[in-house]
Amino acid sequence: MASTREIQIRRKSIQDTMKITNAMYMISSTKLRKARANLEETEPYFFTLQSLVTNIMQRLPDVEHEFFGERTNKKPEDKVRGYIVISADKGLAGAYNHNILKFAQDQISQWKHYKLFVVGRAGRHYLRNRGIPLARHFHYAAQNPSLHRARIISETVMEQYRSGELDEIYIIYTYMKNSMTTETKMTRLLPFLPENFKQDGVESVQPWEGNDNGMFHGELLLKPSPNAVLDNILPDCVMGYIYGALIEAFCSEQSARMMAMEAANKSAAEMIHDLSIEYNRVRQAMITQEITEVISGAKAQKKKKKAKKKEEK
Amino acid sequence: MGTFDLKILATNKVFYDGKCKMLVVPALDGELAVMADHQNMVVATTIGDIRFQDDQSDEWHTAVVGIGFVHIANNRVTMLVDTAERPEDIDEVRAREAYERALEQLQQKQSIQEYHVSQASLARAMHRLKKGTRKIVD
Repeated sequence: MASTREIQIRRKSIQDTMKITNAMYMISSTKLRKARANLEETEPYFFTLQSLVTNIMQRLPDVEHEFFGERTNKKPEDKVRGYIVISADKGLAGAYNHNILKFAQDQISQWKHYKLFVVGRAGRHYLRNRGIPLARHFHYAAQNPSLHRARIISETVMEQYRSGELDEIYIIYTYMKNSMTTETKMTRLLPFLPENFKQDGVESVQPWEGNDNGMFHGELLLKPSPNAVLDNILPDCVMGYIYGALIEAFCSEQSARMMAMEAANKSAAEMIHDLSIEYNRVRQAMITQEITEVISGAKAQKKKKKAKKKEEK
Repeated sequence: MGTFDLKILATNKVFYDGKCKMLVVPALDGELAVMADHQNMVVATTIGDIRFQDDQSDEWHTAVVGIGFVHIANNRVTMLVDTAERPEDIDEVRAREAYERALEQLQQKQSIQEYHVSQASLARAMHRLKKGTRKIVD
């Protein structure tokens, strides 16, 4: 059995760790709240964008645009696929990073040609340790998702798409299914599929009320030209989706960390409880032992005295 | 004069939601005015100013907007832009900083993609500087 001093030291160290996990829990919950508020502010824009784009696509005359249609000049196995992988900057978030990186690895192992665009430090370290080449790493984007960051990421991939370095672009991220569960998910960004541009778990929101939803069903005029309009709208859609994904991933990360820290707090409290019981037992055993020693010492003295008295007689 | 429903949505907020008599937007090939019962169409817009009259008064409201598009259908107009600001909300100090930062970046050696980003932010900053009415803030 360990000595009381050892148990005390151990208990102290668990208490100190608990202070850290407690603080991290609180930080995550504030950050989560902030990120959620951020997401809510941008929602009207992106939902309207999605429903308008779907509407426009349905009424679109036949146009050729670089963002539409599969590229047919290459065989499927020769296509270069770009993956945007959104991971966290820090660990200690349960299985969050593991899930997303495992998923990404499964994806890339299917293809000969791929390019990885990684957001977040954890992802970069993980992939580098396994010798998987990264096309580009976006610093700091995971910590503080902003429109500016999303714009840089989308410009990077779209530029490569336009120049033919990439034939398909996917994004791998974690989204919050509800406030407790998160799920890893992959979506194809380009070539463009309008039905992909709806965020999950959200009913499609129409900008206007009423039967016609402010959508038209007849002829549609695109000015100055269909291509110019698409040029303006589509990059925004891609950028918007990336931004949404960044925020979703950030919310998921914070929620994963909150849960991990909650579990850590709980097991720390349990350990402290067990240690206190053990400490009390050890202390009690020591007291008992001391008493036994004193009593047996006294008894021995008594016996000695008795023996002496007998001798004198 | 007839009115129509107008929504102006920026990425970070709902800029305007209400009735409108007339809206003027910067299309790619010049300004375009929208009045009630306009033909259904979609117009791409560029960085510039918009102005609109609400149904209460004849006064023109102006705003500085980024790239986006206008969707006109059944007398309902939705304008989606990346940024929308009233001139009095533009922080001149910040706009100037953005302008200088963009200029500096343009002087560096950059990839084509980085060049596009810096050029776009330069255009945004220049326009905001031109239109901003709120002078130095402390």
